[in-house]
Amino acid sequence: MIEVQQLTKRYFDREVVKSVSFFVPEGEVLGFLGPNGAGKTTTMRMICAYLPPTSGTVKVAGVDLAEDPLAVRERIGYLPENVALYPEMRVEEFLRFRAAIEGVSRKDVPERLSYVLERCMLTDVRRQLIGTLSKGYRQRVGLAAALIHKPPVLILDEPTVGLDPRQIVKIRELIVELGRDHTVILSTHILPEVEQVCQRVLIIDDGRIVADGTPDALRTGFSELSAVTVELEGADAAAEELFSRIAGVEKVESLGQGRWQLAVRDGKAVRREVFRLAVERNWVLTELSQSVPSLEDVFLRLTTREEATLEAEEVQHA
Amino acid sequence: MRKLWAIVKRELVAYFSSPLAYVVLTAFLFVNGFVFWLIVAYLNDPRTRAMAPLRLLFGGTMYFWLLLLFVVPVITMRLLAEERRTGTLELLLTAPVTEGQVVLGKFLAAWLFYLFLWLPTLAYVAILASYATIDPGPVAAGYLGIALLGLLFASVGVFTSSLARNQIVAAIFAFAALVVIFSVGLVENLVINPALKNALSYMNLWDHMDDFAKGLVDTRRLVYPVSVAGLFLFFAVKALEAVKGR
Repeated sequence: MIEVQQLTKRYFDREVVKSVSFFVPEGEVLGFLGPNGAGKTTTMRMICAYLPPTSGTVKVAGVDLAEDPLAVRERIGYLPENVALYPEMRVEEFLRFRAAIEGVSRKDVPERLSYVLERCMLTDVRRQLIGTLSKGYRQRVGLAAALIHKPPVLILDEPTVGLDPRQIVKIRELIVELGRDHTVILSTHILPEVEQVCQRVLIIDDGRIVADGTPDALRTGFSELSAVTVELEGADAAAEELFSRIAGVEKVESLGQGRWQLAVRDGKAVRREVFRLAVERNWVLTELSQSVPSLEDVFLRLTTREEATLEAEEVQHA
Repeated sequence: MRKLWAIVKRELVAYFSSPLAYVVLTAFLFVNGFVFWLIVAYLNDPRTRAMAPLRLLFGGTMYFWLLLLFVVPVITMRLLAEERRTGTLELLLTAPVTEGQVVLGKFLAAWLFYLFLWLPTLAYVAILASYATIDPGPVAAGYLGIALLGLLFASVGVFTSSLARNQIVAAIFAFAALVVIFSVGLVENLVINPALKNALSYMNLWDHMDDFAKGLVDTRRLVYPVSVAGLFLFFAVKALEAVKGR
């Protein structure tokens, strides 16, 4: 449905997006993950035909961006970050305006209007001025505007930023529902959101894709980040030394009171060895467990940069 | 076409839901009413030679130009600057509309609002008509001249609004640009070189209005404002393409 190839954006001598390629099949909900300033918004704006790419190609629903940017825009419903709306318009009036510029035919407008109002739970506020609505409602008006022309593709840039926890839950539920009949790209830096909503994750850092896969695959792909916790009774001082000699153990950390945490590469083999050692040494094994790395660990591992450069970039952005 | 009209309509709604429209309208009517009173009082003096009062009202006094030089930038300053400042431009330009449609839509809305400002001045025509016979030709031509002048002035305002993120900055730029455009033709009288004099007379907006107010509809006077408006709208489209996303 969305095909991005070697997409690059350069501002003067600074490359913000560096040869990004990915493919989103129809019906997928793709999470676009990355620290602030990684190039998420720029990439999305290029796909939406807002910013012209420096090089690379984008195809949305079979239409080439370079050939027909307006047709690409027609096929995409876009919710920008910090969705800005016209405060002096009423909700319904604004959605009618959006329907007209999105090219919804006149006779379809009433039906689409009542559909999006209901879908985004806006029916109660349809006559209200947008300027008087809370942030959560405005976000939903933005989403309704993105849906009004029945686009096959939805691109949502940080849809839950600045909402209270209850509104976040509601918006997430809505996105999951919308994922059933739309192809969705969703950018965020909230990790649990990705696990709840997305089937696949792209992690982007400093303008490059650094990981691509399902949340589960990403975690197992980074199994070197997993840890085995061991608790023993009657262990002697030699235990720590023995653990560190087991093949696949990278680091041993004593947690005190007969507990250790082992950073491991191959968790299963290590656990086997620990058990064997315990039997051999006549230790009583009271705990032997392995923790899977969270998506957060994966994310931090992939995107950790020097704090100083990050801060410098933030200053630049400001 | 429907998309263009949707943009025009939204912009007109925006005009009338902000206090600015009413402030501009009030100030405009106040000044025009005062000028009308001055003209009528002046012409009532038996020592002045007879003249068509509407010819004086339509560009015959400095008041007309002062008012337009101030009012048009105020009408146009918001158009694109505000969209950029608040970020609504992003939503607008990810809908299947071109930069050209956006610029043209906003320009037309500003121009229609400008024409709306002149609407109450029809009352002056009615008042004069009830006391004297009025030649409808020059009156119609005068309004045509005003409409054409509006095209030119509004296009400059739309262009400066595409450059600035701040409305006031956009208004000041527009005012400065309009002063230059207005004054350049007036230099005509100071120039001796005939070719240059000819070129400047082509750009002389004072004569432009005076011709129309006399009932003289000259093609050159039609072509100049329309082509300048086209040029500035083209600049505005290019500027919009360059500045979006920054």
